[in-house]
Amino acid sequence: MTVSVMAPPRAGVHLSALPPLSLYVHLPWCVKKCPYCDFNSHELRGSLADDVYADALIRDLELSLPLIWGRPVYSIFFGGGTPSLFPAATVDRLLAAFRARLPLSADCEVTLEANPGTFEAEKFRDYRAAGVNRLSIGIQSFNPGHLKALGRIHDDSEAWRAIEIASKHFDNFNLDLMYGLPGQTPAEAEADCAAALSCGTTHLSFYSLTLEPNTVFHRYPPDLPDDDVAADMQEAIEGRLAGGGFTHYETSAYAKTGLECRHNLNYWRFGDYLGIGAGAHGKLSFPDRILRQARFKQPGSYFDQLGRGTAVSEEHEVSRKDLPFEFMMNALRLTDGFPVAMFTERTSLEITAIAGVLDEAEAKGLITRDHERIRPSERGQRFLNDLVGLFLENDDVNSNIKSQKINISFQK
Amino acid sequence: MQHIRNFSIIAHIDHGKSTLADRFIQYCGGLSSREMSEQVLDSMDLERERGITIKAQTAALQYRARNGEIYFLNLIDTPGHVDFSYEVSRSLAACEGALLVVDASQGVEAQTVANCYTATEQGVEVVPVLNKIDLPSADTANAIREIEDVVGIPAQDAILVSAKTGIGIEDALEAVVSRIPPPKGDPAAPVKALIIDSWFDNYVGVVMLVRMVDGVIAPRDKLLFMSTRAEHVCEHTGVFTPKSQPRAQLSAGEVGFVIAGIKVLADAKVGDTITHLDRPATEALPGFKEIKPQVFAGLYPVESNQYEALRDALTKLKLNDSSLQYEPETSQALGFGFRCGFLGLLHMDIVQERLEREYDMDLITTAPTVIYEVMMRDGTLLKVENPAKMPDPSKIEEIREPIINATIFLPQEYVGAVMTLCNGKRGLQKNMQYLGRQVMLSYEMPLNEVVMDFFDKLKSASRGYASLDYEFKEYRAADMVKLDILINGERVDALSLMVHRANAPYRGRELASKMRELIPRQMFDVAIQAAIGANIISRETIKALRKNVLAKCYGGDISRKRKLLEKQKAGKKRMKQVGSVEIPQEAFLAILKVEGK
Repeated sequence: MTVSVMAPPRAGVHLSALPPLSLYVHLPWCVKKCPYCDFNSHELRGSLADDVYADALIRDLELSLPLIWGRPVYSIFFGGGTPSLFPAATVDRLLAAFRARLPLSADCEVTLEANPGTFEAEKFRDYRAAGVNRLSIGIQSFNPGHLKALGRIHDDSEAWRAIEIASKHFDNFNLDLMYGLPGQTPAEAEADCAAALSCGTTHLSFYSLTLEPNTVFHRYPPDLPDDDVAADMQEAIEGRLAGGGFTHYETSAYAKTGLECRHNLNYWRFGDYLGIGAGAHGKLSFPDRILRQARFKQPGSYFDQLGRGTAVSEEHEVSRKDLPFEFMMNALRLTDGFPVAMFTERTSLEITAIAGVLDEAEAKGLITRDHERIRPSERGQRFLNDLVGLFLENDDVNSNIKSQKINISFQK
Repeated sequence: MQHIRNFSIIAHIDHGKSTLADRFIQYCGGLSSREMSEQVLDSMDLERERGITIKAQTAALQYRARNGEIYFLNLIDTPGHVDFSYEVSRSLAACEGALLVVDASQGVEAQTVANCYTATEQGVEVVPVLNKIDLPSADTANAIREIEDVVGIPAQDAILVSAKTGIGIEDALEAVVSRIPPPKGDPAAPVKALIIDSWFDNYVGVVMLVRMVDGVIAPRDKLLFMSTRAEHVCEHTGVFTPKSQPRAQLSAGEVGFVIAGIKVLADAKVGDTITHLDRPATEALPGFKEIKPQVFAGLYPVESNQYEALRDALTKLKLNDSSLQYEPETSQALGFGFRCGFLGLLHMDIVQERLEREYDMDLITTAPTVIYEVMMRDGTLLKVENPAKMPDPSKIEEIREPIINATIFLPQEYVGAVMTLCNGKRGLQKNMQYLGRQVMLSYEMPLNEVVMDFFDKLKSASRGYASLDYEFKEYRAADMVKLDILINGERVDALSLMVHRANAPYRGRELASKMRELIPRQMFDVAIQAAIGANIISRETIKALRKNVLAKCYGGDISRKRKLLEKQKAGKKRMKQVGSVEIPQEAFLAILKVEGK
């Protein structure tokens, strides 16, 4: 008699080495919420309680220390919200507190997101002095009409002024720009591109404006260029930036050689990050499991829950069957893809476990590969959603990861 | 036997047949009010929703007439749609009389007329009943005139009722007793019993509703089915009130059920005659026909692993629907599925809906088609019910298509629009008659044009007021060609269809442009071509999508992006991959969605 039994899924993972660790610090306040923004940001009412929040962040980090004992920190990123609302002295206090509690690697990249307003720009020198070594400025556009349409509180002259100050104090700074804006023509997108190239930046993030759920733009959609025009803009931008010496190294990121954003690269290489602050997300690896965490989003509840012993609102272990998708969703954003060995190192799965999907992706012309590396093809980059979608859990292709079917025969 | 009355109700959909039947049952105490759910006779949910009866049912009622005597009334329900005209004729053959129920505010409709003709041809006494007389819009004088003009029976003494409020119910029952003759028949003669309807019951097997013409059937009798020569032993006899109640025997003139341990419906064909094995009747009752499907379509599971489940579901449906036919079929585009034969479009709709609703199937249906007779050059005659299987044109002498006689009833103001529609469908006008407020149009039309999208168009051309009845007339030679759809150069078998050569260019263009709307943009250009043989008659291109990428993907929170990608993926799963092109389900029925002139 033959009986088919499903073996229990081999739970957990077995990592031989832990990936680099980054620290993300979320500062959730803005002067005004932008109509396209779907991040966890809150309009500031009254004065900023920066010291109280800094205390909370330090408390949050201390409670998290047991999860990352002894691991060097490879990069720090102050994101928001608008981190540049915070006084330089508070940023200085935070960095000092981090240094005291964490071993920062010698070349640790420390980025702070800044709004190009006059009020913020005046603080750039002091941020640099506090230890921030990379600035990311949310320019979005150099066109005053488009800045208005985006609901930004700065204008073009403030943008230029902020860049001038930044370039005085930072040898490494990024500009965030968007294309496909309400009423934008391809010529206007190229003009933004030319302006960015003229100002000495080392890194550019050029995003296509998308209407995200739960935003004002989603409820009241502005008139955007259609998909084909947006695609034309994208191609024109890629061409111009390549001509300006920028390498297109990730879906929306361009950098001068060697000045890719280390912090973001760590995300895209499926590295670890501890996220502290209201609404921050984290991903942490252990020899036998990979955790994802999220913290309470509302600053009020974040303070309350932290006072009760943890700010974590959600925590779950990433299952083996979800790992290929999560890895690919990040790693295939990189133009250069990833070394085959990195997949096994970060997920503890053999590459053969996803051989079928990789074959399919290759057959569709979405990836190129050799024994060393797997890269998205030019088509794969443009159709990244279709490519990554292949790795979503699928009963047919992932069965060899989820469980193994064993035939047991015995005599009666 | 003098106290038995067998009758049915002829009525158009929505004219109140079921409500009237319910009132009769209630009046005669067939069910307590607790058991009396609305419209008892229509038992299937679908029937109830669409307001039509698909399976004939019956109720044996006891009525104390005004003369003080008790009468046994057998109400035999009839299906109310053009697809089921054979079942209607068998139900009527079991009756001596019929109530013609007409909505007093709407007048006579095509269906009703056709059924009335069937009834009078069979010598059934038709008693006109005007329903909904409580409505302010009721116009009894006009309705009476229409019945007299159109149906051709006197209607001055029509019974006025409102099934809803209960007005006139007793008058109607009284008319059944006084105006419908009692059955004739000889209990001592060899048994002749007409199968009015049969269905499958999970516990007892096939249940047959029969009308005893001669003789007596009782449990343990050896029965012979005259068309199939099958033999079965009678296990139970009884009547429906409409609850089933056992009876020791069924005797000439009566209507009731017979259960004989039959496992398959095909052994108990509607219209067949049951007799005794030991003392058989010399000849069967007239009118028996093998019913044959007229409309065919391919049914395919959206997900190929659901093929076995679809087979199971069809097997179960077939248990209770002997007119449903299916056989396995393979399509290059759609994989494994079934070619199914239906009595008509409504029947097809019902089967499809039951598969989806009761069996949870996710289906792709190909465009409905009819059977063509193909005369080959070598003298052989083929019957082709799948355009993809049409032989090479060079070997064909001629193609013959089924032609129907269509009768359409409609209010005068829509005559122009409906005539334009019929002419566009290659209809040949045979007759036009003004009957009071209504017009009766008679056309000869190719069935192929009717199954495509005629019903919907007729509805919109007449704002829903036109009613249609049709019957098969003959096969007739026609200049038919196979129209193929090519997607990126690949012929998609499931999209082929037969069209008249004169309509081919227009159909081809419309179909290609509809496909362009229905197929989403993909990673590459998609060319859609309509072709007759090697001749491309129309071409459309779906420009490639330029990109599909999430611009911003913060390493931090991946959950929302994941959901978005999962949604995209789920959408793709519901499409069929033809070559490298993903085609959504609805594209396979695009031909039915072509907006036409």
